[in-house]
Amino acid sequence: MKRNYFYLCVAAVAFFEVAIFWLSVELADPLPSVIAIVLGILGIYLAKMYIDEVIEDERTQKITEITALRTLQITWIGLFLFALWIIIDALGEGIRRFNRPLGIFGFRLLILLCGIIVLYVLLSLYYNKKFGA
Amino acid sequence: MKNKIKVYRAMNDLSQEALANEVGVTRQTILAIENGKYDPSLILAARIAKFFKVRIDDIFLLDSIDE
Repeated sequence: MKRNYFYLCVAAVAFFEVAIFWLSVELADPLPSVIAIVLGILGIYLAKMYIDEVIEDERTQKITEITALRTLQITWIGLFLFALWIIIDALGEGIRRFNRPLGIFGFRLLILLCGIIVLYVLLSLYYNKKFGA
Repeated sequence: MKNKIKVYRAMNDLSQEALANEVGVTRQTILAIENGKYDPSLILAARIAKFFKVRIDDIFLLDSIDE
């Protein structure tokens, strides 16, 4: 399969996903959307296996690695600042007038961010071991 | 790191696309290597050298800063 046919397949899958999403909204049932997304990912993965030309190599992988890391760093810092902002805002009137829903949301966001750090450390240890450390 | 890929391509009358197909990378990667924007992995450098039937250090040269 040529590279351009693959991109056409991706576009077709995207249209399919939008149509199923619309159907889900009409039926008020999220299940068709979830199934469609899983099928779409599988479809793209299968189509990618049949491409004759090279579309990914070490350079594109390096770009993906650096882009993913920078995205993670920027998103983490942004969400951390946002969580702090929310918590300070919720506590702004003092403990007695604590804005409970807002404060809980802020704390949950902080827990999620801590979870991301734990996941990062675990994956880092795993890959360190895998690559000889 | 400097390289002589362009010279070897010219000597073998080979396009970037053809070389890319031979060594299993995209044309953009060959372009980036030729322009010194990307340093290839040891495996890719070895593949390129093998394709031109020369040694790696015949094609890839360390800059004085790198040394």
